[in-house]
Amino acid sequence: MKKTVLTLLSAAVIILTAVILKNVYSCEIPIGNRGIRAAIKEGDLDILFIGSSTFRSNLDIHELDKAYNGRDFIISYGGNQYTATSVQYDEIRKRSSNDYGLMVFELDPLMLTEEVKLSDSRVIWDLSFAGKKALWNKLKTGGITNKSIMFEYFVTSGMDDLITYPLTEPFYSTRYYKGAKTDDTPSSGKEFLENEEFDISESVLIKAQEESVIEIIEKCRRDSQDFVFLECPHYYRLSEDPVYKEYHRYFTDLMVKYNVDYILAGDIDFDDHNPDYYEDMSHMSGLGRKTYTEELIKYLLKTGKETK
Amino acid sequence: MSLISVSFFIFICILLIIYYKVKPGNQWKVLLIGSLVFYAWVRPVYIVFILISIISTFYLMRNPVRSHWILTLIINLGILIVFRYSIYFDVHSLIVPLGISFYTFMTLGYAHDCMGKKIEPETNIFHYALFISYFPQITQGPIGTYKDMKDQLISPHECNIINIKEGGYRCIKGLFKKLVIAGRLTYYVDTVFSSPNNYNGLTLIIAVFFYAIELYADFSGYMDIVCGISRMLGITLTENFKRPYFSRNIQEYWRRWHISLNEWFKEHLMLPAVTSGWNRKLSKMLGKLFPKAKKGTLRTVFPLILVWIITGIWHGAEDVYIGWGVYFAIIMLFSVCTMNYMKKLRTKIHWNDDNIFIRIFQTLRTFIIVLFGEVMFRAHSLSDAFSIYKKIFTTTRISVSEITSSLTAFGNGNQALASVIILTVLILGLFIVELLKEKDENSFMSHRYIYAAGMLIVMTLFGVAGQSNFMYQAF
Repeated sequence: MKKTVLTLLSAAVIILTAVILKNVYSCEIPIGNRGIRAAIKEGDLDILFIGSSTFRSNLDIHELDKAYNGRDFIISYGGNQYTATSVQYDEIRKRSSNDYGLMVFELDPLMLTEEVKLSDSRVIWDLSFAGKKALWNKLKTGGITNKSIMFEYFVTSGMDDLITYPLTEPFYSTRYYKGAKTDDTPSSGKEFLENEEFDISESVLIKAQEESVIEIIEKCRRDSQDFVFLECPHYYRLSEDPVYKEYHRYFTDLMVKYNVDYILAGDIDFDDHNPDYYEDMSHMSGLGRKTYTEELIKYLLKTGKETK
Repeated sequence: MSLISVSFFIFICILLIIYYKVKPGNQWKVLLIGSLVFYAWVRPVYIVFILISIISTFYLMRNPVRSHWILTLIINLGILIVFRYSIYFDVHSLIVPLGISFYTFMTLGYAHDCMGKKIEPETNIFHYALFISYFPQITQGPIGTYKDMKDQLISPHECNIINIKEGGYRCIKGLFKKLVIAGRLTYYVDTVFSSPNNYNGLTLIIAVFFYAIELYADFSGYMDIVCGISRMLGITLTENFKRPYFSRNIQEYWRRWHISLNEWFKEHLMLPAVTSGWNRKLSKMLGKLFPKAKKGTLRTVFPLILVWIITGIWHGAEDVYIGWGVYFAIIMLFSVCTMNYMKKLRTKIHWNDDNIFIRIFQTLRTFIIVLFGEVMFRAHSLSDAFSIYKKIFTTTRISVSEITSSLTAFGNGNQALASVIILTVLILGLFIVELLKEKDENSFMSHRYIYAAGMLIVMTLFGVAGQSNFMYQAF
């Protein structure tokens, strides 16, 4: 009996220690090339992108470096939702007094239809405990939460990254630079792109996402932060989908209503029918990334959105 | 009530306390009430159908004559067919009673044994009701036999600390397999199989491999949990798995995978079919076509086909399950028909079955044959399955970009590498444990506390929360 109790107790102590470490100290672990911590470490920046993997894949950091003299960074998380972006904005403000010339948020119409959830465990990893609590409150009010989701959020999420950190960090350091992908991702080819299945017919507007977009706008205005919403061009099959168009209209109406600057995919001279530019419906190949970023920079410079 | 839920944990704790507090002679009554509560918990109406099955079979089998046997078959198979297969006939969707396939097989097994005078018909309906409704095995088996179960269920059991500890250890092991291994593989497998055309051959191979591990971890994990709970109650359930992926041929595989179902088919379908008149006639006809074939071989041909098609249909009437059944029927037939030629060939070329490399080759070959079948078992349709086969054979390439692309099904790039590392460690760990147990069944007996603590830690920190359903529950 003694052995059983001892076994259970020692297991409990180890579990508790790991959970505390993850929740309180994970944001202190040095991560060289991506995430909030790395962005803060960069100091003042001319341009800071905050979005999803679309930003990470579709923006060529070397082109941005050339245009902004290295004063640029991309914070991106897989499927980064507006609910999380709002918390990430607060986190950056709380943990630094850096000056950002322009903040670029993602204009993703379909993100307005995403059920509120933790889309990427790295978000947990990068947030302070207060940030984690703030995000949890957002998930609680805007999404479906229960005990098992709470358990996942505070206990298991991000644990993989924590335990494999010594192995994965050197790999990611070579794969990412200032939050962006650096590998020369090949195109998946026309056949794949023309046949890739996607179904957005059931999409419905999620109010919490819309509210978070408004929250981001209000926070930026409160802090006198220049900002713009940027829509990256999807492969034409997705952007020509009627459902996509419907939410696209909804999003742009929202931008107009709140008098916010935005850049649509169509504003940039980029061929979204060219399969060589894409890896899938939303992520670009190395070639697409470079071409798009060059054109985007031209547009930003032409319209004077490049600096404060 | 899911086996992985707080409510089930509380249920088990209360049941164990009452079970060991009441007079030993009344323990089976506690089990019966507990089983009915467990069953009714999910949907009280379910209990009606199991009661119909219990009452009708019990009374009909008190006098086991042919007409009663036929009536038992009609009632039990009738309920099973109406509920399980009505969805295929555009009938108003009926909610399938929990574990209906499993308890119907137990019922029919009991009735068949009564008919064959292998057992004496039960005289106490409540004893019989407990045998059919015993809660740990009702949702997914094992399909227990009356002969094995009766005395264990009815006779008194003393509270034995070793049974509690061993049972607890087994439960932890089962939860570990389910929550950590199966749970982690589910995401990748579901993602790939939901739109297989979006993935390259390498990704599909990985998904099929993961599915095989997932199915094993899920199903055998469930068995570990129910065997563990039964052990705590002093009851030993039939083992359903004996490290099937280490089998060296396909017959051996089916002797080690879902053992109770395969035993049931052997006892109640295969053997009666082999000795039946219709089979004798058919095998004689076949003998005219293949005059050199042995009589024994010819007699197994039609029963084998029948058993495998029924095994497929038992899983569901979808084309994938029938295809899966036919696939294994063909493999088994090929194996049976070529057995003698292979024996001669092996002697001729001095093939040594004990050679380590030959053993590895045989194990790998069997595993690959199984994996091929699993494609059909998991695909949404036969056309999906065939397009997976086609892609595997035509688009599989090993290159950095293909490997990177195969990781996308793990989710976003941020999580993929960590997931791969953790999964590799877990699958390797499972492989080593199973390999060591294959060599020595009693390995890991000592230091169990350390393993239990390790599994608890990994389960809590790396398990996938929120999982409540087991894969075989669907059958």
